[in-house]
Amino acid sequence: MNSTYEVIIGLEVHVELKTQSKLFCSCSTEFGAEPNTHTCPVCLGMPGVLPVLNEAAVACAVKAALALNCTVHPFSKFDRKQYFYPDLPKAYQISQYDEPLAEHGSVPIVIDGAVAKTVAVRRIHMEEDAGKLNHLGQRLGDAKGSLVDLNRAGVPLVEIVSEPDMRSADEARLYLTELRNVLSYLDISDLRMEEGSMRCDANVSLRPLDYHGSLEDLPRVEIKNVNSIRNVYRGIEYEIARQAEKMGRGERIVKETRGFDDQNGRTYSQRSKEEANDYRYFPEPDLPPLVLTASYIEEAAQSLPPSPMAIRQELAEAGVTANDAEVIVADRAALEYWRSATAVFADKRQVTNWMLSDVSRLLNAYGDTFWTARVGPQALADLLALIERGTLSGRMAKEVLDRMYETGGRAEDIVQSMGVSQITDKAAIQAVVQQVVAGNPHVVQDYLSGKDKALGFLVGQVMKQTKGQAKPDMVNAILKDVMADYAKA
Amino acid sequence: MALSEEQVKHVARLARLRLETGDIAQVTRDLGRVLDYMTQLNAVDTENVEPTMHVIGLAMPLREDRVKPSLTAEAALKNAPDPRDNMFGVPRIMDGGDS
Amino acid sequence: MRIYEMTAGDIASKVRRKDLSATECMEEIAERIGRVEPSVGAFLHLNLDEAMRQARAIDNLPSGERERLPLAGVPVAVKDNMATQSMPTTAASKILEGFVAPYDATVVSRLQHAGAVIVGKTNMDEFAMGSSTEHSAYQLTRNPWDRDRVPGGSSGGSAAAVAAQMVPVALGSDTGGSIRQPASYCGVTGFKPTYGRVSRYGLIAFASSLDQIGPLARNVDDASLIYEVIAGYDPLDASSLRVEKALPKATDVSWANVRIGVPKQYGSSGLDASVQARLAEVISRLESQGASVVEVSLPHTEYAIAAYYLVAPAEASSNLSRFDGVRYGYRASGADLLEMYENTRAQGFGEEVKRRILLGTHALSAGYYDAYYLKAQKIRTLIRQDFEQAFAAVDVILTPTTPDLAFRFGEKSQDPLQMYLSDVYTVTANLAGIPAISTPAGLAGGLPVGMQWLGPIMGEESLLHIARGFEKLWPSEGWPALGGEA
Repeated sequence: MNSTYEVIIGLEVHVELKTQSKLFCSCSTEFGAEPNTHTCPVCLGMPGVLPVLNEAAVACAVKAALALNCTVHPFSKFDRKQYFYPDLPKAYQISQYDEPLAEHGSVPIVIDGAVAKTVAVRRIHMEEDAGKLNHLGQRLGDAKGSLVDLNRAGVPLVEIVSEPDMRSADEARLYLTELRNVLSYLDISDLRMEEGSMRCDANVSLRPLDYHGSLEDLPRVEIKNVNSIRNVYRGIEYEIARQAEKMGRGERIVKETRGFDDQNGRTYSQRSKEEANDYRYFPEPDLPPLVLTASYIEEAAQSLPPSPMAIRQELAEAGVTANDAEVIVADRAALEYWRSATAVFADKRQVTNWMLSDVSRLLNAYGDTFWTARVGPQALADLLALIERGTLSGRMAKEVLDRMYETGGRAEDIVQSMGVSQITDKAAIQAVVQQVVAGNPHVVQDYLSGKDKALGFLVGQVMKQTKGQAKPDMVNAILKDVMADYAKA
Repeated sequence: MALSEEQVKHVARLARLRLETGDIAQVTRDLGRVLDYMTQLNAVDTENVEPTMHVIGLAMPLREDRVKPSLTAEAALKNAPDPRDNMFGVPRIMDGGDS
Repeated sequence: MRIYEMTAGDIASKVRRKDLSATECMEEIAERIGRVEPSVGAFLHLNLDEAMRQARAIDNLPSGERERLPLAGVPVAVKDNMATQSMPTTAASKILEGFVAPYDATVVSRLQHAGAVIVGKTNMDEFAMGSSTEHSAYQLTRNPWDRDRVPGGSSGGSAAAVAAQMVPVALGSDTGGSIRQPASYCGVTGFKPTYGRVSRYGLIAFASSLDQIGPLARNVDDASLIYEVIAGYDPLDASSLRVEKALPKATDVSWANVRIGVPKQYGSSGLDASVQARLAEVISRLESQGASVVEVSLPHTEYAIAAYYLVAPAEASSNLSRFDGVRYGYRASGADLLEMYENTRAQGFGEEVKRRILLGTHALSAGYYDAYYLKAQKIRTLIRQDFEQAFAAVDVILTPTTPDLAFRFGEKSQDPLQMYLSDVYTVTANLAGIPAISTPAGLAGGLPVGMQWLGPIMGEESLLHIARGFEKLWPSEGWPALGGEA
């Protein structure tokens, strides 16, 4: 069905910066406070107040820009974007319009650990967040009205605008995933889409293959404020199908803003953009231009952590598969855990396997993350060392890990208290083997006369007597030795 | 650059100012006269002139990222016309409100 | 000499030395206000109980602390567009009726820290838009020299309060002449410092890139004294200057070393004959002192009014958007949010304010921004360059403050454009950001005439020095008789 059009997707992502105080005043940015307790004359938009820019917000925004390979402009300015809405106290948002902080960046789309495509980032700019509206009654427009909480008003945001470079919902998903990966290593945002600290608007249009005009002129549908990467994917998929069907019927696509209903997976019309807003942008007279020196930008660039691509490289060199690497790259806590564990335990593949299977299973069960894992990297390494030394079998180790997670105890202590330690003492195994051999002369004869199956029975007897703790390969070897001696005797 | 009544209505809508129907003609005339006066600016060649956005060439001063006490919700809402549950009440929002 | 006749400097030095108690001073000021204010109407809010309390607090200070207060016990009036916690702040607008700010403007706290006593908030044109104070939503303020005439505006209440000797000094704000023009009409000194000298934090914004707070006083020394206290960097105002302020030398002006420019473009149309004649007298008196008075060219002045009435309303339209009936101030009813917004703003703002909001919204709207707002900001650059060139050749530029004298109530309010045109001499200083001061130059037909002195950016020291020198050359003819005193 892709024969008649091409999908064109551009994304606008808003990211709340994790500063202590707001962008233009000293109120706390902490999430979840009682309504209007993080407000002051400035963020309430009282008459006479003035904005003063937060230096940490600038530092965060510059980091984001550099990590997304943007050119940071030594000179940028703030502008007022004007519209009336109760969550916007001054009736203008201080944003950056025609001279943004940074431009011309890129985000790789990564498939199987390799860069499949690069999406261009048009610009990154700083702006202030709006407050929160609580609609009374069932929905917007209910006769009871709405209540405004301005705790969030003025929290610093960066807006990251992509070029319309994506051609499928899957590319959009991968772009967002990698964007979040990149930003997560900078520690500048919580990046929680469900809490609104990362928000995405998707612009979707279909280009008929015989259309060669500007992409900007295509009727574009903007899907607003979707609250997870999965829902961005679903919304775009729905929108592509909806538009394709309309085009198929020869109908015109209307430029509009649509919401996404995650119950039924559909987008719905919110507002036609043709009665367009006139934001009347003009330079913010209360704020002089933001001037960043070359050395400031250079220092910020030097202090950037390794990129997700560099981390993938590091993991690949450690023998981690591309699939496993994606899981680790997407979770900074997992990477930190992996690094700590592999620093004290040399078999990196073994660490990876345990982390992504059994440790992850326990994290899910307990509602933990790799940051809060009750079995830390050192404890896991200790457990893996017991396997390596042969004290534990893999199967026993899983049980020990469960108990460690439950109790917070050390591997060796739990092994001792459970009495599950593997018997690897040659003399001890030999003693049991001697007994078994002495007690089953017929079976031994069968084995010696070529019935290999008899060995299995004898091993079983040894394991039974050692309560399963004897190391199986040792039992095997010692049995053979003892029976060989027996034959000679 | 005379102004039409339609333009005046559009601008009034943008500025959220209700104009009484009877006043539109007068407002249009007043604004038209002022804007006519402004047309003299067209006589000035500003082709290579930078605009003055800030009269003194300051650079942005930055504030240390430190939290200072906020107002109490009570103080924040003290002047509010419709305080409810420590929030600012507003009438119902119908479609056609901005963004 | 009665206390109300004393200068701020005298009061402060007497209070510091305990030759006068702040309480005694405040009692007489309260008595004076009680007698004179009913016939002037300068104040929108008075809080004399609080003023008495502040005065007692100053008297109760240990002498070491009191002696450090530059404005010890000085009664000050503050224009009602500056935020005060102790009194309402309405900017003379119905939309802010009863609004009490939860914070003080930086200038207000600086005054209080210096020992000043804030007696009240003065009337003004609504949101500082106007030149007569007739655009107040609350009351008329009468010119103390002729109570049938306007005091000028927008800081008309502050100018009238100082001229009527209710306070020695007051704060005003000046966006296009709003300190200097009422100072001129009321025969007092009004000083607009360089843009950024005085913090705007707490000043209800009219046009952010033009607004500047300054003093009104009965002489240049008092204006300088207030300026010294309120000027200086404020971390709450990103546009405030970090440069040290310099105060005028105490020495006399040696006029032979002063080069005075008189713009040839300023003598043209609309200039009242008595003002023109006074300017000629002033020039000849200055020349007789040995000053060199030369013609300077400010060719883009003729475009200043047009540029100003695009830039100022554009910024105002944005600054006044926050008055939406949601968080504070007046709210009209409405079936839904949009109706509430439109009714609140239609009923809450006065006609002149609405006119300027519409004008400014238009100047910023899609398709008009380049032709209006951007064009005006480019003209602004040319006006700045005119001044830079002029100040290469002269120390100070002299003009009349206004083309006319205080007019009668209602005389101009029917014609907005005519009212705008009378700002011709004052708006250029705001567009260029330069300091300017209006000083009285006697009376003409019983009405005060004001002369304006313009200096280069950050040239306050020399500007105030010259203005004080002129004050000696042209001494005050006294103050209007008011309140039935002998």
